[in-house]
Amino acid sequence: MNLTSLVFLFFYLIIFIIYFIVPKKFQWIILSISSFIFLFYHNLSFATISQALIALLSAYLFGILIEKNLENGKSRKFLLFGIGLILIELIYLKYTNLFISTFNYIVRVFHIGSQQSYIYRNSLIGISYYSLIMISYLIDVYRGSCKAQKNIFKCALFMFYFPILTSGPFIRYNDMESELYSGHKFNYHTMCSGLLRICWGIFKVLVISQRLGYFVDGVYNNLALYNGFYVLIAALFFPLQLYTNFSGSIDIIMGISEILGIKLPENFKTPFFSKTITEFWRNWHITLGAWLKDYIFYPLLKSDIMQKLNRECKKIFGKKTGKKIPLYLSMLIMWILIGTWHGGAYTYIIGSGLLQFIFIFLEDILSPIVSKINIKLGINEETFSYKLYQVIRTYLLFSFSMIFFRATSISNAIDIIKNIFVWNPWVLFDHTSLYKTGLDLYNYHILIVSLIAMFVVQLLQRTGSVREKLCKQNIIFRWTIIYILIFSIIIFGCYGPGYDPTTFIYRQF
Amino acid sequence: MKKLCKIFIFLFIFCILWNCIFKILWLEKTPIKYFYDEPKNSLDVVYVGSSNAYAHFNTTLAYHLYGFTTGMLSADSQPFAVVKYLIKESEKYQKPNLYVIDIAKLVDDLDSFGEGDIRKSTDSMKFSKNRNDAIDELLHYSKGKKDDCVNYYFSFLTYHNRWKNLSSQNFIGDNHLYKGYLLFDATVQQEPQQNYKWSVNTIKLQKENKKVLMNLIDYIQLEKLNTLFVIPIRTFQNKDDERLNDAISILKKEKMNVINFNDLKDFTVDFNKDFYNFAHLNVYGSTKYTIYFSNYLKENYSLKDRRNSKIYRSWDREYERFKTTFKELTNIKFEQYLSQIKS
Repeated sequence: MNLTSLVFLFFYLIIFIIYFIVPKKFQWIILSISSFIFLFYHNLSFATISQALIALLSAYLFGILIEKNLENGKSRKFLLFGIGLILIELIYLKYTNLFISTFNYIVRVFHIGSQQSYIYRNSLIGISYYSLIMISYLIDVYRGSCKAQKNIFKCALFMFYFPILTSGPFIRYNDMESELYSGHKFNYHTMCSGLLRICWGIFKVLVISQRLGYFVDGVYNNLALYNGFYVLIAALFFPLQLYTNFSGSIDIIMGISEILGIKLPENFKTPFFSKTITEFWRNWHITLGAWLKDYIFYPLLKSDIMQKLNRECKKIFGKKTGKKIPLYLSMLIMWILIGTWHGGAYTYIIGSGLLQFIFIFLEDILSPIVSKINIKLGINEETFSYKLYQVIRTYLLFSFSMIFFRATSISNAIDIIKNIFVWNPWVLFDHTSLYKTGLDLYNYHILIVSLIAMFVVQLLQRTGSVREKLCKQNIIFRWTIIYILIFSIIIFGCYGPGYDPTTFIYRQF
Repeated sequence: MKKLCKIFIFLFIFCILWNCIFKILWLEKTPIKYFYDEPKNSLDVVYVGSSNAYAHFNTTLAYHLYGFTTGMLSADSQPFAVVKYLIKESEKYQKPNLYVIDIAKLVDDLDSFGEGDIRKSTDSMKFSKNRNDAIDELLHYSKGKKDDCVNYYFSFLTYHNRWKNLSSQNFIGDNHLYKGYLLFDATVQQEPQQNYKWSVNTIKLQKENKKVLMNLIDYIQLEKLNTLFVIPIRTFQNKDDERLNDAISILKKEKMNVINFNDLKDFTVDFNKDFYNFAHLNVYGSTKYTIYFSNYLKENYSLKDRRNSKIYRSWDREYERFKTTFKELTNIKFEQYLSQIKS
């Protein structure tokens, strides 16, 4: 069920009505039922029911077992067993093809054995999300920072809460326990605020992201036709497309939950204003970064192996350099995992993993040197122009890494990069070339205006909630803005069939 | 209470804006949309059919000659299966003395209709159960078109895209329609056609088409509606005339009135001058057709003369507008042409 579809709109409307009609103590049941409907809406089969049951029982039973055995030391075994089961299911359903592609590569290079064909398994929606959510739940129970949920249906609700199944964010049991189970009273202001956020999310997805997608897909899917500036623009558009799609979905999810009285953690904070890649990732997919830091990076850094490595490196490379090696190694592992989580292909591992690590590593190593050079050259790092340069640099680096993320294979990514280095700047000025790639002049106008609107909103966001600012305005201004937003989505949104209604006029017998 | 009022006002303004915007964005005015514009219970005849209906029967001329008013429930390539629902829809707004039903499209394969053919009729209908039922039935017959079926029910999913195709006509209305009758530069062309002779043979109607026809007859008999089935004068291809012969015998068997304009002794048109393509009469042919048919209707059905009533002034205005356009397009005064035909 697509979050921007009419079916979902009706589905949510029904949930909303029933949710606020039933007594507060039963609201979580409505959410559970809705989540199950959402989960199996397109995919109800023995296989998918089994997948859900295995994941749910792994989390539910091992959560209880871990809690019961916290005192006698067996809890660690149960933790590892529970996480193992969840991971096996996740790897089996999502990452088999990663292993197959690795195997095929080895076969190709060393001429041994025969190539294996890819396997496409029928997995449940949101498996990447709920698997990590349940792992964090088991770890939290193990750490004693939360109590195990004894009601299997409540546990299922936490795991499969329907809005987050499509795009996250990652939730933690401690934060969500009271939000999901305690029940909420209808609040007019919360409803208005939530609806506004939903509209803004839909605007980002349907008006901006889809439109950018026409161009990006038009170019990337036809590399034989397009090169040079076409590919460069596509490469620069793609991060924006990704951001508007992802953050737009998150806005819809947050708005949906907000109306129901459920507060979810924020996942984005104007990432394109970041001056470094490190800062960028603090503002992009925040909950994934936080999850990996809390459950992978820090435990790894504090692990016995890393501590031992730390000591050895300090002996060999000295105190200052030596302590950084285990840190970078842990970071490398974390970034590879981030890349792997994004999808079972090497393009993801490189695009959203390894390259990000390399950029952060270089930033860390080079920033003191750059600062020294800047001082010697008399460049003031506090000026607007320098900050602008840093923001643009970060955007360009991220755009470069996203070429791999968007590519179908590593060789495709290399082709894209090669294609950029063709000199054809006239395509920007001849008033026709750019219109052949999926967007016509009218759509460019809409795109530019929408991007400016988003930029203004993001600027305002940096100094506080835009919705709160809007609420303080008088009703005429407020409603005008809301109507403009709603009708912009309805009229300029890229949805419905790509059918040209002018062919239907009655004159063409 | 204050909050409830706020919600109500917000939604009210939203609906007004929606209505204004989509009136412009939706299709240009179609005969069916003009039908809705007519005051309640003001129509004497409702003419249902495909493009033959609005290209052949000049409603303003019929009014000018005999004073009865005719509403057009027709669209280009209108599938016959939609006729029943259009009549049902018509019954909500009008109580006409007669329904004229054009059956030219009855012989088309029901699964041959494309998205456009389905939309042309149903998109112009108001959001209603009849519209939904019509879409359901058309989609039922149109194999393989059910993937995006939601778009048929909610037309804005399709028409919102029209923002870049808007022209002045979307804002000021379509001036090619005259109370549902179509006249513009293409319909004054004279495209010579081969003399066409109606076949005397009969081929059985397709099973599904017969079912659709029988459903319509059942509905007409149940509601006791006064109807007249017509086969328009034109060239029929692929033995469609032979299938229509079967339809005629079915209709006669069910005691329905039928006129086949291709097989009348006292009426014909000039196949060299009166068509602008093989299926459609041009303005000259349609004038002849209207004179004959409106006279027939006046003589055989009790239709009131509305010409002196103030409520029907818009019909006079539209007739005047039609005459002006006729003069502009042909350089002939319509009265002059009219008297020429009558003589």
